[in-house]
Amino acid sequence: MIQKFLGAFIAALASALVLSGPVAATPAKEAPWLPEAAAYRLTLFLGNLEPLPWDDVGTAWAEPYRGSEFSVGALAWLDGSSDIGPAPLLDAITREDRQAVFAEATRLIARRIDEELDRAVMADDPARAQQAVRTARELYRAFADGIAAADPDASRRIGLAWLELNSSTGSAGVLGTGDTPANRETMEAARGVISGYLAENYLVDDFTPRRTLSALPETFVLSGRTIEVPPSLPPGSDMFDQDPLPRLVLNFEEQGIDETDLPLVAYGDMLFDSAQIFGNPAQDLGVACSTCHNRSDVNQRLFIPGASHQPGAIDVDGAFFNPIFNDRRDDPIDIPSLRGLRFTGPYGRDGRFASLRDFTRNVIVNEFGGDEPTPFMLDALLAYMLEFDFLPNSMLTPDGQLTEAAPEAAQRGEAIFNTPFAALGDRSCASCHVPDTNFLDRQAHDIGSVASAYDGARTGAMDTPTLLGTAYTAPYFHDGSLPTLAAVVDWFDESKALGLTAAERADLTAYLETVGAADEPYEAFDAENTAFRLAFSELTTFASTLNTLLPQRDAEHILLLTDTVAADLSADASTMSNLAARPEVYALAERLAEVGAAVRGEDWVAAEASWTAFKSEADAIEERAF
Amino acid sequence: MAIHLNRRTMLALAGAGAVSLATPLAAQDTALRLAFIPQENPEKLLGDIEAITGWLASEIDVPVEGFVTIDHAAAVEALRNGDADISFMGALPFVLAEAEIGAVPLLSEVYRDAPSYTGRIFVRRDSGIAGLADLRGRDIAFADPISESGYLYPLAEFVEAGLIDGPGAAEAFFGRVFFAGGYQQAMQAMAEGLVDAAGASQYADLLLTPQQQAQVTWIAESPPIPSHVVIARPGLDAEVQDRFTNAMLQLNEPENRDKLRYLYGPDGYVRADSAAYGGVRDMARRYGLLE
Repeated sequence: MIQKFLGAFIAALASALVLSGPVAATPAKEAPWLPEAAAYRLTLFLGNLEPLPWDDVGTAWAEPYRGSEFSVGALAWLDGSSDIGPAPLLDAITREDRQAVFAEATRLIARRIDEELDRAVMADDPARAQQAVRTARELYRAFADGIAAADPDASRRIGLAWLELNSSTGSAGVLGTGDTPANRETMEAARGVISGYLAENYLVDDFTPRRTLSALPETFVLSGRTIEVPPSLPPGSDMFDQDPLPRLVLNFEEQGIDETDLPLVAYGDMLFDSAQIFGNPAQDLGVACSTCHNRSDVNQRLFIPGASHQPGAIDVDGAFFNPIFNDRRDDPIDIPSLRGLRFTGPYGRDGRFASLRDFTRNVIVNEFGGDEPTPFMLDALLAYMLEFDFLPNSMLTPDGQLTEAAPEAAQRGEAIFNTPFAALGDRSCASCHVPDTNFLDRQAHDIGSVASAYDGARTGAMDTPTLLGTAYTAPYFHDGSLPTLAAVVDWFDESKALGLTAAERADLTAYLETVGAADEPYEAFDAENTAFRLAFSELTTFASTLNTLLPQRDAEHILLLTDTVAADLSADASTMSNLAARPEVYALAERLAEVGAAVRGEDWVAAEASWTAFKSEADAIEERAF
Repeated sequence: MAIHLNRRTMLALAGAGAVSLATPLAAQDTALRLAFIPQENPEKLLGDIEAITGWLASEIDVPVEGFVTIDHAAAVEALRNGDADISFMGALPFVLAEAEIGAVPLLSEVYRDAPSYTGRIFVRRDSGIAGLADLRGRDIAFADPISESGYLYPLAEFVEAGLIDGPGAAEAFFGRVFFAGGYQQAMQAMAEGLVDAAGASQYADLLLTPQQQAQVTWIAESPPIPSHVVIARPGLDAEVQDRFTNAMLQLNEPENRDKLRYLYGPDGYVRADSAAYGGVRDMARRYGLLE
């Protein structure tokens, strides 16, 4: 599994990074959005969900988007920085009129751009003019991907106009030294290019009804042509791996077996990290199994507005990923850990799949809209996932008893854990979380944690989750409604009237925390073991399956591999601390792409030659520091 | 990041505790006043300033105030007027401020173990542009005319290569010369194909997406440029300078390194060596910015 994250290094340097259009494997920190531009993009995104979450649309304008560096939402921001009133937009939101909301929001952003352009042209000093140009351009970002997709010539024309406009604002120099005057004529001309396009496409009185809300220009929509705007996630989304990164425990690896000697497992490892197995929008957004299940565990920070109700949760059968699989129920679930997967069936929070193979196919085809996987792909994915082991925990024996290393409070808590309670039907916690079967019973029970879906519903049973490794997977319960293990204990004590004292609750919590602990829960990076070194090692391991696939002339699976690994290798080069060595990694990625190109052309000799060269060059890079 | 320093924002921010956007009007005599130049969202910068000034005040036992100026020029103006005691500054604005008002360098930023960096000429890998001469008649975007790594030094590479007679003759060589407004904007213009090349800091390609980074390369690199600097107004009490400088050097210690993110994110600071900025002074003279 590749690590798809840019560390703090990139995050710090790339604070102005702007991503638009498709984002491939490696997500990068996005530049902050201006509040009103963020609200607009959120409105477009939420407006395409069914059922449309109107409360979220209102919130998008009223409150700062999640993770925003601005302390106020768009409405307050507009109040402080603009003379443009939001009343028509707010009225449209109140009326829940989707088309009107689109029209009013679009016009509002276009007017804001014009307002800032007015300020730029009217500014009496270069610094304020440049400030206004920057602001206008950041607002234009709300429309930029739509224009680029529909009208590349206009996109280029406007791009040059921004350059022209900024260049002609002049410079204040320093204390008069190096100052250059503004060129008003050029400023007006460049502004005219931008404003003219806005007037024609985003400031129209009556927009053509939109089936899908997007930033496509009105003239394009009127033309009747169709084009897919590359999918993008709205502001507030977070697809970075969690930090610190969970440690991956693979059974074969712990036994000293090299993954390159297990081609089926290595191929499954690649698939687990490949967005290519999913359909769009997941594929273009770089969503892979590992996006949610970092290193076989969870991703506590994953968040997509409209699909997540809190970080680490997602509704995979909502409107976004695969509309045909939309169950029209707002029921995001907390991402479960896959550690010890071969012991944790049945699968799904409610245990609805007895077969891991069936569950995996459902994820690929239904939840994320991918093509039907081949038997080989499912075999490989399962071979890999069945290697996921629980985290070693020296405070616990293999049969689930505490060792002497466990704290005293936990020892006391263990007794409570094993005590039958009348309120639990004379069962104990251990009745379901059976210590010598990895703290689970492979049964589904209705413990009252699920709100009834309708009168008389019997739909609240959930699969008993293991307690192993849970110290690092907060929050808890299927919907992540309980933030800590202590809260879980309190919930049982109160909802089941167990009558525990405060000291007993603390002891039981200590026991859960001890059972859920691990000796080394996170991957330890340092100057030698860098994130890129780990990614490089994994990617070259994935590629090693070509030793098996090339002789078999298995074009389909070779291409899936080369398309995934070449792109990831190139993207991950941006995480290298040794920046000077990046070109070598880019060249290596191209070498792998050459394998794919040769296979596409059915030139197996060339494919073999490129693969041989890849191995040689990879070895040379491996020997040097990253 | 855009900044909105209009009247309403200034009023709103002026109420933010010890941090104010407006020129401090009634600072205590003993307060040390720091001028910051926004590189991103000023609201976040205000939060950063609050965090770092609070820490500095506890370290040097003197009240510390911070405020945001609109640009380098305004920060230098504040130093000259005595509205600021210390400011964060690029190397070129510093040497101009040194010449104009006698500003004193205190600390240099460290990136990747060096208090220096370079400027580069970046192009798209598929452009077929292999050397500076290939850019004759082509369009280029620089960051800003008052930027050492984003204009002066990269352009000087063309002079060194004998392609341009001098700084004033750039237009005769290139098709168009743009000032995009910053590294990121210049690099995006190049990566998107709006221009053929960009002149920017050696690290500027990290401002592109990982996919774009793989699509660009650089064809020329300047000599080392001394990194950004923390400067003091002339006449600032020597003991205050020392205490401030020593406190800032404490940021290099492991337990304090997390605070560097409040200060433009360098890897650390070293005491500034004024002589190290000789090359920048020479460069400024070549461009007619210094006598």
